[in-house]
Amino acid sequence: MGALARLLRSLEIDLRLLGMLGALLVIWLVFHAVTGGLYLTPRNLFNLSVQTASVAVMATGMVFVIVTRNIDLSVGSLLGLLGMIMAVTQVRMLPEIVGLGHWSTWVVAILVGLAAGTLLGAFQGWLVGYLTIPAFIVTLGGLLVWRGCAWWITTGQTVAPLDPTFALLGGGAGGTLGARGSWILAALATAAAVALQWRSRRARARHGFTVKPAWAELTLSGIFAAAIFGFTAVMVAYPVPERAAQRILERRGLPVPDGPIDMAQGIAIPVVILLAVALVMTVIARRTRFGRYVFATGGNPEAAELSGIDTRLLTVKVFALMGALTAIAAVIASARLNAVGNDLGTLDELRTIAAAVIGGTALAGGAGTIYGAVLGALVMQSLQSGMAMVGVDAPLQSIVVGLVLVFAVWIDILYRRRTGT
Amino acid sequence: MMKAYSGLAALVVATSLAGGVLAQDVTVGVSWSNFQEERWKTDEAAIKTALEAAGAKYISADAQSNSSKQLADIESLIASGANALIVLAQDAAAVGPAVDAAANEGIPVIAYDRLIEDPRAFYLTFDNVEVGRMQARAVLEQAPEGNYVMIKGSSTDANADFLRGGQQEVLQEAIDAGKVKIVGEAYTDGWLPANAQRNMEQILTQNNNEVDAVVASNDGTAGGVVAALTAQGMEGIPVSGQDGDAAALNRIALGTQTVSVWKDARELGRTAGEIAVALAGGTAIDAVEGAGKFTSPGGNEMNAILLTPVAITRDNLNVVVDAGWITKDALCAGVAAGGVAACD
Amino acid sequence: MTPLVEMRDICIAFGGIHAVDHVTVDLYPGEVVGLLGHNGAGKSTLIKILSGAYAADTGDILINGEKAEIRSPRDARRYNIETIYQTLALADNLNAAQNLFLGREITTPAGFVDDDAMEAETRKIMKRLNPNFEKFAAPVRALSGGQRQSVAIARAVYFNARILIMDEPTAALGVKETQMVAELIAQLKAEGLGIFLISHDIHDVMALCDRVSVMKNGKLVGTVRVGDVTEDDILGMIILGKQPAVMVQ
Repeated sequence: MGALARLLRSLEIDLRLLGMLGALLVIWLVFHAVTGGLYLTPRNLFNLSVQTASVAVMATGMVFVIVTRNIDLSVGSLLGLLGMIMAVTQVRMLPEIVGLGHWSTWVVAILVGLAAGTLLGAFQGWLVGYLTIPAFIVTLGGLLVWRGCAWWITTGQTVAPLDPTFALLGGGAGGTLGARGSWILAALATAAAVALQWRSRRARARHGFTVKPAWAELTLSGIFAAAIFGFTAVMVAYPVPERAAQRILERRGLPVPDGPIDMAQGIAIPVVILLAVALVMTVIARRTRFGRYVFATGGNPEAAELSGIDTRLLTVKVFALMGALTAIAAVIASARLNAVGNDLGTLDELRTIAAAVIGGTALAGGAGTIYGAVLGALVMQSLQSGMAMVGVDAPLQSIVVGLVLVFAVWIDILYRRRTGT
Repeated sequence: MMKAYSGLAALVVATSLAGGVLAQDVTVGVSWSNFQEERWKTDEAAIKTALEAAGAKYISADAQSNSSKQLADIESLIASGANALIVLAQDAAAVGPAVDAAANEGIPVIAYDRLIEDPRAFYLTFDNVEVGRMQARAVLEQAPEGNYVMIKGSSTDANADFLRGGQQEVLQEAIDAGKVKIVGEAYTDGWLPANAQRNMEQILTQNNNEVDAVVASNDGTAGGVVAALTAQGMEGIPVSGQDGDAAALNRIALGTQTVSVWKDARELGRTAGEIAVALAGGTAIDAVEGAGKFTSPGGNEMNAILLTPVAITRDNLNVVVDAGWITKDALCAGVAAGGVAACD
Repeated sequence: MTPLVEMRDICIAFGGIHAVDHVTVDLYPGEVVGLLGHNGAGKSTLIKILSGAYAADTGDILINGEKAEIRSPRDARRYNIETIYQTLALADNLNAAQNLFLGREITTPAGFVDDDAMEAETRKIMKRLNPNFEKFAAPVRALSGGQRQSVAIARAVYFNARILIMDEPTAALGVKETQMVAELIAQLKAEGLGIFLISHDIHDVMALCDRVSVMKNGKLVGTVRVGDVTEDDILGMIILGKQPAVMVQ
């Protein structure tokens, strides 16, 4: 036991991260057993990754919101509104201007959604930061208002189907990287991870700080590589269903062979989006002044003010960022369904907050990690998907998720008390 | 001062309680359970037109899916002077106290589309069990044998079980004969398409895609089902739906959905408006034109009119176009020429 | 010799209450001036005007003989005025280096925050001020009161403070840690800094300060040299507003 503890300490791995990975593993193994070996299959893990994407994207933004001692209850409704705006833009407005199926339609629609999300988020942030209305109230109002607005845009009608290129962003047929793309991404990601790891080691050595022993550093590199390539291998092991593969080839203008087509799914595009978002958010959190000020303000708002940090403007930026991330999540959610009804995103705010909190973000402010939020979303979605597979009724699913949420936060509180953080 | 007020109040009360109110003085109060869902604005337009034609006034409230709010809504509609109530119940049993309040004031209540377990209410609906039967019938015709998945509505909505019952009636023979096997069944929380999609994905995984037909209970959930099937390249297997949503009718033209049972909400709304005016005018509840008897699951014998829904499939898409329900452009978006009669 | 800081005839009122009423104090390089008075005497408010948290209604601030416009904490920093607040203004969830550089982070050429460089600089200055300090990676909430105090002081010193404001620096400290702060103050005096020190504790004031300015009800009772008066004299000034014979200015 002592040797294991020493190993972990020299690898400098966060204990909480290990705890969450452990919990995830337990959940996966239990469901794998209960479903007779259907849970830990490439297909189900692929589905799981896509199902997690939109909430996980929002959860990364929610970390900043909660760290600065605020809350955002409006993200579900905002997602519905932004989805509706983007849908109407690409299905009704742009075809009038540039015709159906124009290559730029999906790009413009997404830009419109991002702009709207950032603006509406900034507006909420302004109400919280400058008018000092409590975030709970502002975003509670937002929850009601944005949902109502979503209905008004089409007076309740569902908009479907969406632009074909846009729909690929949902991870359905054709919405993946395929085998080659996935391996290239894996190689790039591993190279980047290892390069950063060794560069940071050299920087520390240059300043004369203690560095991890070389074997620990190599082990860590090995773990990164194994994780990245393992994940990619699982995704590539899932073949595209026959008819979907035929359609993909047709769409690309390639000849369709007579025999079975060997096309791998690879990593789904929503997952690539999620990974990119998580990466950028992690960089922002750890290595930018904005991120530093977010954590400082959460830890001690008075100290931040006295250090010359404009905490009011910071609040606006945090909520604007949340709005932009909600727009990205709306792209994924609406593309996945290839339709937008005015009820899209209902209750997503609760799932997002739960993901962030299960991932170790303290509601008191000042503490939280991006990778924790993503893992929290994965834990929750694993539970729900597993229960759906086993056939557990919806009301019982709600009970289980609620219990898990409370339990996870309790564990987090105990952990903080033990380690004095 | 108080005496004058109480005298005036007594006069007003006496007048309003007197039967045989003229049509011009009739106010009809409508209590919606959740106006946000797509179809209800059509119903509202139809009710309003019928009321206007009779010279009656329309007031309404939206309970936003909350039973307690619906009680408060109905009380306030009564207080605002409604002579008749049209109630789209959020919960068949919980709305009871509201029916009590209305009955105490002698105000007739129409249970609109959704059942209210109370013999004092007039039940006006499309035959939801028949809707379920029609859904199953259309799918069974396309897939007489194989593995079936039942994607149901919300577990808190009584209609979801009515539909499921009707579907079961039609499928029972084939199930008993061993030709049809139900391999997956799930309620859809809140009727949300995203939930239907996720449940369908898990069921497909569980059955290794060995699914031949899906009986979905409405068009929203059908949309989620079709999205899940499309990701697996399985779109085109028979899928049912309900409501005649524009997106669903388009899917029928494209061939990814088999049937959408269309309940012309305009007919329902118009009938409701007419019956409301008649009841407010003094017609007895069992003397309404065209009414019959209906025994509810709770054992209540109710006066009811059950309208007949229409099953819209590829062959009769012209019905919805001719009725002005959907434009030909919206129906035929993306449909190849020569594929569908109604689009040529 | 021109004073480092001269606050001339400062007035500030909050809704009718004169928190600071025509107060004049000054500070020379290499000396510690204590500010004493009851709660609500106005000493914190006066010093917040110097540190940029408040703006005076009337009166002037002169730094090295020249008029200074101080309207925000950033302005004050530009005049090399650093404040160590009673609450220390440290973010508990960040470590020593991150707190030291809060708001003034060292960045890489690409614009990213350079935590390694900041840690290196922090180590250097902590070696000077508090050589026994080791917990550079721990969040500041895990440090003792004296260690937190030393981080706050290090922050002020690192950024070339010439004028230091210390608000109740020894209030939460034990004997040994108070001694450590006293040594730090002596070191800073020797480097030519001027220090305004607010304290309730008369013993500490007598031990650490060269001169003392006493305020009562927003007005300045008087300024005396510590060597010229007794504790009782000072007490009399605080409680009764009694001006002793040996007042300066």
